[in-house]
Amino acid sequence: MSLTLTCPICGERNGYEFRYGGEDKGPRPDRARLTPEQWCDYVHMNDCVAGVQKEWWFHRDGCGAWFTTHRDTRTGLETDGPDNAART
Amino acid sequence: MNRLTHLPTLRIRPESRRDIHYRGKAHPAAAGDTIATALYANGVRIFGRSLKYHRPRGLYSLDGECGNTTMAVDGVPNVRTETVPARAGMTVKAQNVVGSAERDLLGFMDALSFAMPAGFYYKTMHKPAPVWPLAINRIRKQAGLGAIAPDFEITGVFDELYPRADVCVVGGGPAGMCAALAAAEAGLRVILLEARPWMGGFFDYRAAAHPGGGLLHERARELADQVEKAPTIRVFTSAAMTGAYHDNLITAVQQGGDDDPFDSRYLQIRAGAMVAATGCIERPLLFENNEKPGVMQVGCAHRLARTWGLMPGEKIAFSVGHDLGLEAALDLAELGGRVVCVADIREDGQDPALAAALAERRIPYFKGWVATEAQGRPTLGRAVFSTITGTVQKEFSCDALVASAGFTPVTGPLNTAGAKLAYDNHTGFFLPTDLPPKTHAAGRIMGLQDPLSLETSGRLAGLRAAADCGKRVDDAVRDAEAALASQPGPERGCKLVTAPVKGKKTFICFDEDTTLKNVKQAMAQGFDVPELIKRFTAAGTGPGQGGIPGHNLPLFVAQTQASPDKHPRPTTVRAPLVPPLLAEYAGTNHDMSKRTPVHESQAAAGGKMERIAVWNRARVFSKSKGAKAEIENVRTNVGMLDASTLGKFRIFGPDAVKALQRVYAGDMTKIPSKRMKYAAMCNDDGCLLDDGVIVKQGDAGANDFYFTASTGRAGQTVEWIRYHAKYENWDFHLVNLTDAYGVINLAGPNARKVLEKVADADVSNDAFPFMGYREFTVNQTIPVRAMRLGFVGELSYEFHVPSSWMQALWDVLAEAGAEFGIQNFGLEAQNTLRMEKGHVIIGSESEQRTNLLDLGLGFLWDRNKPEAKTVGAVALRQAEHQKGRLKLVGFRMAEPADRAPKDGSPIVDDRIRGYVCTARYSHALDMPVGMALVEDELTPEGTRLSIFEDGCEGNLIHGEIVSMPFYDPDGKRMRM
Repeated sequence: MSLTLTCPICGERNGYEFRYGGEDKGPRPDRARLTPEQWCDYVHMNDCVAGVQKEWWFHRDGCGAWFTTHRDTRTGLETDGPDNAART
Repeated sequence: MNRLTHLPTLRIRPESRRDIHYRGKAHPAAAGDTIATALYANGVRIFGRSLKYHRPRGLYSLDGECGNTTMAVDGVPNVRTETVPARAGMTVKAQNVVGSAERDLLGFMDALSFAMPAGFYYKTMHKPAPVWPLAINRIRKQAGLGAIAPDFEITGVFDELYPRADVCVVGGGPAGMCAALAAAEAGLRVILLEARPWMGGFFDYRAAAHPGGGLLHERARELADQVEKAPTIRVFTSAAMTGAYHDNLITAVQQGGDDDPFDSRYLQIRAGAMVAATGCIERPLLFENNEKPGVMQVGCAHRLARTWGLMPGEKIAFSVGHDLGLEAALDLAELGGRVVCVADIREDGQDPALAAALAERRIPYFKGWVATEAQGRPTLGRAVFSTITGTVQKEFSCDALVASAGFTPVTGPLNTAGAKLAYDNHTGFFLPTDLPPKTHAAGRIMGLQDPLSLETSGRLAGLRAAADCGKRVDDAVRDAEAALASQPGPERGCKLVTAPVKGKKTFICFDEDTTLKNVKQAMAQGFDVPELIKRFTAAGTGPGQGGIPGHNLPLFVAQTQASPDKHPRPTTVRAPLVPPLLAEYAGTNHDMSKRTPVHESQAAAGGKMERIAVWNRARVFSKSKGAKAEIENVRTNVGMLDASTLGKFRIFGPDAVKALQRVYAGDMTKIPSKRMKYAAMCNDDGCLLDDGVIVKQGDAGANDFYFTASTGRAGQTVEWIRYHAKYENWDFHLVNLTDAYGVINLAGPNARKVLEKVADADVSNDAFPFMGYREFTVNQTIPVRAMRLGFVGELSYEFHVPSSWMQALWDVLAEAGAEFGIQNFGLEAQNTLRMEKGHVIIGSESEQRTNLLDLGLGFLWDRNKPEAKTVGAVALRQAEHQKGRLKLVGFRMAEPADRAPKDGSPIVDDRIRGYVCTARYSHALDMPVGMALVEDELTPEGTRLSIFEDGCEGNLIHGEIVSMPFYDPDGKRMRM
C-alpha cells in the first residue's frame, strides 16, 4: 500500500499502520423513520467516488484513534489534513 | 586462468579466496567476484542451455539482462549469477540441461527449430483433445528453466528496511552521484541506490581521459569518495530497484556482501522526490547465432578485463556501432589482448582520435561493416563479417566476438513511476516526455554521453529534486541549466542494427528463444503491435524481463512494417524490474506469538502446547484418547485450565454505558452489582461477533465496568467499540487489559473445597452463588476478581488476577487441590465439556452468516432500546421471521456404534443442507453427540441427518436431532 496518512495525534505515518474504516456516511440514522432498504443502503452501499472523498481511518498500530481525512482515491494522496479524532 | 593484476580499476581482492562448487569440483573465486565471473575465470564458457532449443549459452552482459547465466545456486533456481556475489561454499548447477551444460542430451532440439514456428505451442497439440495433457507434460519437462525440489526450504537471512528520504537517487553513476551531492548540499537527506556492488557507473572501468582532467575511473572514485563522506547521503550498493509506486514509494532488493549481516534485503523507500539516473544498457546487434557463447557486449568484455582482470578471449573480434566500442577495443589491446579486427557499423562520425589509434596499432578496422554470423560449436571459433549491404564478406578466427549496436536507456524506473516515453530519432532512444511530479531523470538515459554533461545533468536533477522538497535553489538551478546548455548535448545514436541475414538463428530475445524469423511469422499472421507480438512470440517475457529485446523489438517491428510506424512505442514495463525471491518479499519473521504467564508450568506438566491465533495454549495434558482422563476428572473431581488468553477490558467514564449499549445486544443499563451479565455483540447484519461477561466495578454509582471478550476478538474489540462511537462525542475511556491480567478456570464438583482452603472470603453457595462476581484475596496476598460461571457445565470459578500474580495463584491452587487429585485440563477437554452443555464457541458453532437467533441466543437481545441504535438490532428484527436460515441443533448418531463425524462435514440429501460444527464422543453420555447448523426444516427433534464425511466415498453416516444440552439439561451442576 503506497500510502501515507496523517493521524491527528501521531502525524504523517505509513499506511501499513492504519485500518480503513470506509466512507464517511454520517451518524447512524434513527431506525424508526427508515425502511429496511434504506437501512441496508446505509450499512452496505458506498459511493465509490473517483476523486476526493472523506473517509475514516483507524490508527491500529499507533494511538488507536478513529479519524476522518480527505483523500483523492485516484492518486492515494491526502488533499487536506485530518479532522479531529473522535474522542474516547 | 591468469588474471590481469595491478590495474587501478580492479574490484577483486584475490588474497581473499573462497571456493564455489560446480560439477563436483571446487572452483576458486576472489572476493569481489560474482558467481559468473568466478566460473569464467575457471574456464567455464557454457553456463546453461536455452529454453526451447537447448542452445548453449554463455556470458553476455554481466548485468543480468538475460537468462543466459541463470543457474541453480544451493537449490534456489534461476539465480542471476552475474549479479550475485560468489560466497564461500556455494554449490552451483547448470539449468535446463540433461547431462551437462557442455554436452546436453537435448541439444538436438536446435536442429528441430524449423518445426517450432512462433505460436506453435498455442496452435498444435490441442487436437485431438487427449494429446494435450501428454504433450504439456513432455514440453514442461523439456522447456522451462530451473526446477525447485518440492521439499526445498530456503535458508538465509532476509532482512527488510523501510527508510525515508527527501531525495532518492536511483543509479550511482556519474549523474546519480552528482545528483545526490547536489541534493545533500542543499541540506537534504538522500538515499542512493546502486545495482552494482560499487558506485561509478560507466566511468568506473574506463581509462579514457576526463575532460576536466585525470582519467574517468579516477573521477568515479573521487565522486564516490565525496558521496560516501557526505553525512546526509545513505548509499545502498548491490541494490536493484524493483519498482516505483504512488507518491514516490520506491522498492529495491539489496544483495548482502561479505560483511553484511543479511543475504538479501528488501528496501521500501518513501521519498520526497526521485532522480532516475539509471544509465544505459547495450542494444544487441542482430546477426546469426548472436547468442553463441563467446559473443558478448562491449561493456561485458571491457569490464571483464578492467574490473575482474579477465581477458575475454585469446583472439577478440569487435563488431560495434559506437565510440565506446572502439575505446574498448583499444583498451583491451593496451592490456595485452589480441584484437583481430574491428567492424564499425558507421561509415563516418567516429572520433578521429580513436580511428587513428586503431590504425597505429595495426588493428584491421572496417567502417560500414557488421558481423553476420558467429560460427563454431559449441562455442565461438570463427566470425563472418560483411558490409552492411551484404555484398562483400570476410572471415576471422576468434574465440570472443564483442558485439554491440548502440545503447538502450534503462527506463524501467521511469516507466513504473508513470513517466511517458516517446521515440527520439536523433538518439534512437525512448526519451521521457512527461515526468510525474517530483520525478527527474539525468545522465545517459537522456541521451547524453559526454562526461561533463552527465555530471551537470545529474547536478541539475539533484537541484530540481531539492526544489521539490522546498529548498530555495533557484539560482543554482539556473546556473546548472546554463552550464548544461553550453556542454555537448545528446549524441546521435544507432537505432537498430540488423545484419543482412534471413534471421533463422538471429535471436531478438535470448530467454524465450525468439528469432527474427519468429517475429516476422507473427507479423505475417497479422500481429502488428509490439505488445501483441511480445505475447505471441513470448519475446521479453523471460527472466531478463525485456532487457535484451526491450527496445529492439518495437524498433524492428516499426522498421519491418509495410507502412512504418513513425512513433514506435516500447512494450509496457512493470514491476518488479528485476526478479526478487518470494523470501525477499516475506522478509524477516513477522509471525509473533504470545505465551501466557503460566506457559512454562503447563509445558512442564506435560501440556502439548499449540498455536491458537496469537497465543500458545495447551491442547491436551493426558495421553488418553480424546482427553478422556482430563474430561472425567473435571466431571467427577476438579481440574484447572489456563484461560489467560481471554480478552479483558475496562471501560469507564460518564458515557461508558452508552457505548456498551451501542455494541452489546442486551440491555447494559441493567448490570447488577456483584453479578455478571452475559452479553453478545453482533455486527450490523445481526451476525454474532463475540460473547463475554460484564461486571460492574467500584461503587454502585461508578460508571466503571470490566468485561471479557473471546480470545480471537481481543485484538479488535477496542477498535470496534470506538468505531461505533465515532460520531457521538461520548466521554468514556477504554483500556485493553488482555495482557495485564491472567485467568485460571477452576472447575469440577470439588472446586469449592479447593477454593475454601485458600480464599479470604466466604465462598459458600449462598455467599457466592452462580453468576456471582466477588473481589477477594487469596492467602492474604493475591488480589482476585472471581466469577462463578459454568462454561464446562460444572461448579466453576474464573479467577482474574494481574499477570504478575498468575504463577503464584497457579501454584497455590495446584497445591491446595493436591489432596483432591486436581489435574490440569486443556482445550481439547474444554471443547468436549462445553459441547456436552451445548455452549457455543464463536467460529465453531457460528460462521459469518450466523446470527444471534440462529444460535438460540435470542434471550441476549433486548429489543426495547431503539434509542441506543444498537449495532445489529435492525437486522435481527428483520431476520426474526426469515425462512431458510441455518439453525443450531444437537444430534446424536442414529447407529450408536458409529463414531462422531469430523467437524465441518456437510449434511446432505440431494443438496447440502447444513454442516457439522463440533462432534465428539461424550464420556458422560457414553455415546457420540454433536452440534450442527442445519436448514430450519430439519430442526424438529427426531429428524434424520445424512452426513457426508470427507473420504467416505458415498457411504453416508446418519445422525438424529435431539434436544440440547446433552449433559445436565437443568443446569443443576453449575449451581450446586
